[in-house]
Amino acid sequence: MSDVPSSSTQVVDYRRRQRLARIAQRLIIFGGSILLAVYVIAPVTWLVSSSVQTEAEIVSVPPHWIPEEPTLRNFKAIFSATEEETVTYETRSGQDPAAGGFIPSTASSLLPAMANSLTVATLVVILNLLVAVPAAYSLAKIRTWGRNATVYFILITRVIPDIALVVPFFLVIRKLGMLDTIGSLVLTYLAVTVPFSVFILLQYFEGLPDELDKAARVDGCSRFQALIRVFLPLSLPSLVAVVLFTFLTSWNEFLLALMFTQTEASQTLPILLAAFTSDFTISFSFINAAGVLAIIPPVIVAIIFERYIVSGLTAGAVKG
Amino acid sequence: MAADKDNGDQEMSGLLKSNFGRRDFLRTSAAAGAVALAAPARIGFAQGGPTINMQTWSAAVDTVQSHVNAFTEATGIPVNYGNAPWAQYRESMVTKFVGGAPLDMMWVSDAWLPEWAEAGWISPVDEFDFLMAYNAEAEDFCTNSMTYNGRQYGLTYYTDFMAFLYDESKIKEAGFDAPPATWEEVVEQSLVMKEKGISDYPMMLAMAQESWLIEFMSALVFSHGGRFVDDDGMAVMQEKDKGAVEALQWVVDAVNTHGIVSPACVETGELSGLKAFASGNHAFAMVAKYRLRMLNDPEQSQIAGNVKQAMMPKGPNGDHNTVGWMRFHGMASQAAQDKARAESTAKLIEWFGGKANGAYTFQKFLFLDIGAGFGVKPLFDDPEIRAAYDAYGNVDMIQAQQALAMKKDVVTPWFGEWNETNGSAWQSAILGNTDAATAVMKSAEFWDELKQDY
Repeated sequence: MSDVPSSSTQVVDYRRRQRLARIAQRLIIFGGSILLAVYVIAPVTWLVSSSVQTEAEIVSVPPHWIPEEPTLRNFKAIFSATEEETVTYETRSGQDPAAGGFIPSTASSLLPAMANSLTVATLVVILNLLVAVPAAYSLAKIRTWGRNATVYFILITRVIPDIALVVPFFLVIRKLGMLDTIGSLVLTYLAVTVPFSVFILLQYFEGLPDELDKAARVDGCSRFQALIRVFLPLSLPSLVAVVLFTFLTSWNEFLLALMFTQTEASQTLPILLAAFTSDFTISFSFINAAGVLAIIPPVIVAIIFERYIVSGLTAGAVKG
Repeated sequence: MAADKDNGDQEMSGLLKSNFGRRDFLRTSAAAGAVALAAPARIGFAQGGPTINMQTWSAAVDTVQSHVNAFTEATGIPVNYGNAPWAQYRESMVTKFVGGAPLDMMWVSDAWLPEWAEAGWISPVDEFDFLMAYNAEAEDFCTNSMTYNGRQYGLTYYTDFMAFLYDESKIKEAGFDAPPATWEEVVEQSLVMKEKGISDYPMMLAMAQESWLIEFMSALVFSHGGRFVDDDGMAVMQEKDKGAVEALQWVVDAVNTHGIVSPACVETGELSGLKAFASGNHAFAMVAKYRLRMLNDPEQSQIAGNVKQAMMPKGPNGDHNTVGWMRFHGMASQAAQDKARAESTAKLIEWFGGKANGAYTFQKFLFLDIGAGFGVKPLFDDPEIRAAYDAYGNVDMIQAQQALAMKKDVVTPWFGEWNETNGSAWQSAILGNTDAATAVMKSAEFWDELKQDY
């Protein structure tokens, strides 16, 4: 008898270790995935859960992930907004914010603010595409003097932080008589988003072979027709990236909207949500209910373009 | 998956490959541009004309709007009312001032007065005698807080003060009949509570670096009979008989010698401290008076019904003084430059900060609607207000304490810069890294340096 294990035993041990290593690896990946999923999903879950909780339940320790006394009070307050009428001493909401069931008096402005946000975001997306697509195509495929300088100039405009642009923008908007209008937001958001949209599309168009352009021209296409019939169909992922970028930027933008709007006629959702935090108190449950409504449009946009999102977001990231 | 993607590509490609010519493109672009620029038809600002532009932060919007509507109905003067979130209000107003937005009347915090007055954005209102007449019925600290370089800039919108609150059940459990009247008695009662296991840290102090810190420090200094600076704006905090050193020494001893205040107080913000007090962890707390309503609400507090207010304890050389703060209705300089516009704006200021139809309607509604404190003394006699206060507090106690409130003496153009250094100096002493006298001396030296620079 020898103490040295036979070669067949060694092979079995090796296979067992390999199998255990594979299982361990899968467990680590699985555990990591679970952690990542919880990290991503937990805040949204809490947002939804707390939107149907009372103020007292929200601050309970430990937190109630599943509401014990669910209530739709906040959503009712938002959707029960009636036709706008002159507010009088008798019809004012007059709620004490120190009381548990406080609902801000501006609750009824939430849906108009959502409509404003949607209008602004949609217009900015459409105008972005109309401006950025021809600009990027011409810069990518038409070799002209000053082309590189133009590209760098467009990029440089994005180096300037938004905060530095606020006062100049404000002066222009005031001179145009557009203060407190959604037009002021469309105009300024275009100035912010178009350079980046051009940059995304430019990188993508440059990655497409020049021969396609030449072949289209040989077949009788004008420049414009080559863009519409040849390049755009091939550029869907980058177009989706532009749509997502401009929509989400416009939907979430706060600083410029804060400066240019001041009434229900033009205030967008981020401004109204911020206004729910007063100098006296904050209604967590109401803000969370408003937050639930605020994430619906971006989620819908993400679902519509889901299949293009990953390729779209990496469009232009690697230049071939 | 790949098939799905291909189908999707084909669908979208099909859309894009439809017959869409250059002229169509130009037509669509023009139409989209027209829509974008036509949308601004709803212009909110009335640029020019008799309309008064009023800007506030987003508090009690309905109450304000109802009062605006009543003003227009009573005077025939239209008002364009806009509001912005409280947290970003100052920044948005600065942009509007710099950008020349049409503004006539706006809400102003006492903390911004030096900055806005020095910049020439707001104008004094003391030339309107009918506005100055209201000072006779206003709390002195409110009038003082609206005054800068001898000129008064508005009428009160709301006010409050730092209150000393206690949990009555814990006081009784410790064997005391009455709350402490001096800071020495706070130590004495707290030590008994610690010994009996009623509370580990009976006194709640929130000394974290945040906007509330100067209010807590001021209340401590004023109740020790002290000042940070004298009437000429020169630092006196470093003088041992001026209260600031004594106040800081009391906090240092409370944390390090007696153990009645948690060392974590330097990381405790006002809201966290409030929640801790509401959960029953402490017997005494220094918080804003308006928190009393929440602390006695069973839905939000575990010690509801037991929270009472006492006069701010006094130091050996002090009195029951505390700090008060306020916001006011101010007039924009651009309004003051036009006589007719200024008169209309002054009427609107009176309608909100003074009497409307013979009564302090707005300040009363603001208290009843959102619990905001008022700065005019006659409202303490209003039966509706007394009933509302008595539901959760003692209106006479509130009135007595408010009468002893003092304005912060450090509100200057360099306040923000100094405040940070001062807060750090106090925290450093509390943590035992330096002694109280040295910490306050450092703060005083920095004050003098800044005063000279400005």
